[in-house]
Amino acid sequence: MKKALEITLGIVTSVGGFLEIGSVTTAVQAGAAFGYHLLWAILLGTVCLIFLVEMSGRFSAVSRHTIVDATRERFGFPFFAIVLVGVVLVFFMVLVAELGGIGLSLQILTGIGFPWWAIPVSFAVWLLMWKGTFGLIENGASILGLVTISFVVAALKLNPDWGAAGHGLLPGLPGDDKAKYGFIAVSILGASISPHLMYFYSSGAIEDEWDKTYIPINRFIAGFGISFGGVLSMAALVTAALAFQPNGVEVDTFEQSALLMTTAFPKWGFFLFAASMLFTCLGAALETSLAIAYFFAQGFGWSWSEDLTPSKNARFCFTYTIIILLAAIPLLVGIDPIKVTLMSMALTAATLPLAVLPFLFLMNDPIYLGEHRNGWVSNTVVGITILISFVLALIAIPLQIIGG
Amino acid sequence: MHLVRDVLDQKLLDREDCEMGRVDGLVMKVGERSQPRITHIQIGGTTPWMRLHPVFARLAAKLARMWGPKRADPVRIPWSRVMTVGRDIKLDVKARETGAIDWEIWIARHIIERIPGGGHEEEG
Repeated sequence: MKKALEITLGIVTSVGGFLEIGSVTTAVQAGAAFGYHLLWAILLGTVCLIFLVEMSGRFSAVSRHTIVDATRERFGFPFFAIVLVGVVLVFFMVLVAELGGIGLSLQILTGIGFPWWAIPVSFAVWLLMWKGTFGLIENGASILGLVTISFVVAALKLNPDWGAAGHGLLPGLPGDDKAKYGFIAVSILGASISPHLMYFYSSGAIEDEWDKTYIPINRFIAGFGISFGGVLSMAALVTAALAFQPNGVEVDTFEQSALLMTTAFPKWGFFLFAASMLFTCLGAALETSLAIAYFFAQGFGWSWSEDLTPSKNARFCFTYTIIILLAAIPLLVGIDPIKVTLMSMALTAATLPLAVLPFLFLMNDPIYLGEHRNGWVSNTVVGITILISFVLALIAIPLQIIGG
Repeated sequence: MHLVRDVLDQKLLDREDCEMGRVDGLVMKVGERSQPRITHIQIGGTTPWMRLHPVFARLAAKLARMWGPKRADPVRIPWSRVMTVGRDIKLDVKARETGAIDWEIWIARHIIERIPGGGHEEEG
């Protein structure tokens, strides 16, 4: 019974963990600008994330180490420090984007500008971490995030062309605007393959005291939960393709994105979108802040657990307090969260090798995993996807910057 | 036992399983006639930063003297205190008596305990 509950909660967490401002914004932009043509990027990202999340859970269940623990132990402090700087900088940008997402949701609901929400939102996120437990963070925001199922209902109500959608699952090149197409594809991959989920999931497996008996459950949670999240993201793209592309609407602002579901639900669409973004961004902000604090605490060997009183793991709690405080500053001065989102997603894709390649080495290390180490399928799928994301990012980011 | 693989960078626990950092460095004694042997484990201070670059070590030392428990020197634990080397390294010491968690205690007392709901680090 306990494990059945864990499976349910795990799936809910995976769904909640997948969707956030990055995946929704990139999916909506992709649908509005290129119709179904970028569905393949979500599919590729989802498949890669299924493998990565399954690997993260298996690694911690078998080795009883988190990924960060093992990265420091196996590769030494100098290499760990490089990964720490790269990964934490990108995670920080993602955190700014997620806090901005909450602020923008509140802005469209109340009419009060998002910079005014920077402090209350950051304080609310911090308070949930300060007073809450790992279970509350893992499951609470994710259950609220299930409101995003409305994306699927909206897509179905608009009667999509299934043949064209199926065609979009295969990569292709557009006739024009290749730079924008490449940049959105990279951002979708970055938004889908979020490494913070890897670190969060691996730490969660240790917090929840997983052992080898959890391997089948872990596989089920990763496969089913992440697929479900991927379907929700595809539904956002399909809805945007049907609601925005025929009218030639280019989505550049959050307010435009908020009209995503008004074609399908004229009365409630606006509020459903705002609630979806509010809850998913809240969940992602909590997960990203925790992932950053886990990275420092585990890498330096401090005590860490979201379930302990703050003074029992003072450096861990101090880290997320400072990080959340710093993340509020760019929003307070009015930096555009959508621009931060798109850039942080593209940078996530560019830095994937830094986070994922050492992890692939660990997943093949018999010292940690013995007979449970990776097979060629996992290595090939993850290796090729990371390579594609990295190459696309190297090409698309400079083109996008040059092209404005 | 491989020193770099099995000891360096491993997590350290005291005799009560309290986390006290990682093995940031190892001190070796090389005698003219005897075999080299490990004498101490080094934790914190400038040790890990020195492995990155001396510039970072100097910066870390400067910052450590300006703020916090004002301890810039690494903590040294005699190798004879090592109880087991496995998934983690267990030491026959009490963490708070070694100085390895001075920063943890300082942040708890000066910052975390002053925020409502922070609790007290010495509570059981």
